[in-house]
Amino acid sequence: MLRTLAFGLTLMAPLPALLLAPPASAQEAPAATLLQSMSEASRQLNYKGRFLYQFGAEVSTMEVSHAIFDGHQYQRLTHLDGRLVEVLRRGPELVCLHSNGTLTRIDDANGSPLEFQDRLASAIPSQYNVLLDGDGRVAGRPTLRVRVAPLDNHRYGYRLWLDGESKLLLKSEMVDGNGLALERVEFVTLDLNPGLRPEDFNVPETHSERALENVASSRPGNFVIEAQWLPGGFEAVDQDWRRVDTVADPVAAQSYSDGLATFTVFAEATDSASPEEGVSRVGPTVAISRHTQNGPVTFLMTLVGEIPQPTAERVMQSIQVSTAQ
Amino acid sequence: MKRDFEVLSALLDGETNEFETRRVLRDLDDKGLDTLARWQLTRDVMHGQAVRPVPSSFNARLSEALAAESAPARRSGLVGGFARVAVAASVAAATVVGWQYWSGPSGSSMSPGAPQNTLAANDQRMSRPFGDLSLVSQSARGGAGAVPVQVNAAQPRVNAMLMRHSEFAARHSGQGMMPYARLVSMDARNGAR
Repeated sequence: MLRTLAFGLTLMAPLPALLLAPPASAQEAPAATLLQSMSEASRQLNYKGRFLYQFGAEVSTMEVSHAIFDGHQYQRLTHLDGRLVEVLRRGPELVCLHSNGTLTRIDDANGSPLEFQDRLASAIPSQYNVLLDGDGRVAGRPTLRVRVAPLDNHRYGYRLWLDGESKLLLKSEMVDGNGLALERVEFVTLDLNPGLRPEDFNVPETHSERALENVASSRPGNFVIEAQWLPGGFEAVDQDWRRVDTVADPVAAQSYSDGLATFTVFAEATDSASPEEGVSRVGPTVAISRHTQNGPVTFLMTLVGEIPQPTAERVMQSIQVSTAQ
Repeated sequence: MKRDFEVLSALLDGETNEFETRRVLRDLDDKGLDTLARWQLTRDVMHGQAVRPVPSSFNARLSEALAAESAPARRSGLVGGFARVAVAASVAAATVVGWQYWSGPSGSSMSPGAPQNTLAANDQRMSRPFGDLSLVSQSARGGAGAVPVQVNAAQPRVNAMLMRHSEFAARHSGQGMMPYARLVSMDARNGAR
């Protein structure tokens, strides 16, 4: 109790002062400028590199290539160990090639895999504090460290390492409240003159195509997902109503974001005997499934996202699913 | 009592691990729950969080809590008023921290063998790749023993969800190539089975 009170008092005092401070204070400016440079570098430079991707207890090795042709971004992300899986961007086109030889077209018209950096650079959500954190070395290159710290415990923070020369993001970690890294991307090699050609981004022809089928979202009978409680800063950002294949019932999805972190709530009608309730977590991603009853319909709700589990469960408690009229 | 407060404080600050969290929630009595809930409310208010309305299913608990609280809390109008509001909201807050407690099959207690089982379930969950779909039930509703339930049949369903989530994450908040790296990594591991 005393501990909490003491924490409370020390927290209370500086907090209003922080909130009232002008956004472009001298302390913040270098970090913001740096993030701006990072954003531009990742969009405009040609590069090819290999990185480690650590997710929970798993480590993957991946290769990323990025190039600009006729003003369009081309990017290829390849899983190097185990089965071959790739995500491929050719301008506005984005596809995921699965290990079983199929291909899924990803509906990502306005987005970009690099958008995180844009977002950080342009508008840092008010729930986070960004500060310069010294220097380091990644992939044999000197780097600058930036910390993105959350101001509450409903979201995770980030540690970023930017290449001193090109300002590319060479290493990033998503960290929990105790500073423990939950997910890590770390380049081991980086080539800033890779000599990439458009052919390097061709889609392999052996793949057969499938897509998540969109079902008209405004028709009556679909599900409306509403959260009665959201952590500060989170807003409903996107929703859809799709099915995996023509046999299965469509599943409604609603995603929420605070500008950096995202979680998605899915709802589907189910029979109550289904035993699929549970919690699963690896790295920063938590998945929670719960049943909820609304009149005669039992819904199975699943939350998938990169937020702390207590927050996810609190959100789940407040989710209401109804059938649109 | 002081020790209890320390444990509660650690829980509230997210400093307990999953096993400890479940143990604390299991051992929590009504008084501890009230304390915890009040602290959570305080913290929420401090952080400018909206406090969600009390779910109707907890009305009974609410009345109970109010009845229990009103006697000692009537010291002055201000304190009484604050305590009342705090308790009302605390029940909502308790659903968050203490949902496993509230929605437990027979109130609160777990079977004596439960801790070992939950620990085992924990270990399994930690070591199991996400793509293998480890929806391990730790829901109190699913039984206090936290029987691990694997839903292999549902794997494509959850994979599709992960893909859609990654899509949203990349589009709306995006964490660089992270959502796609996640997707690629999970898809690769999943396909390898």
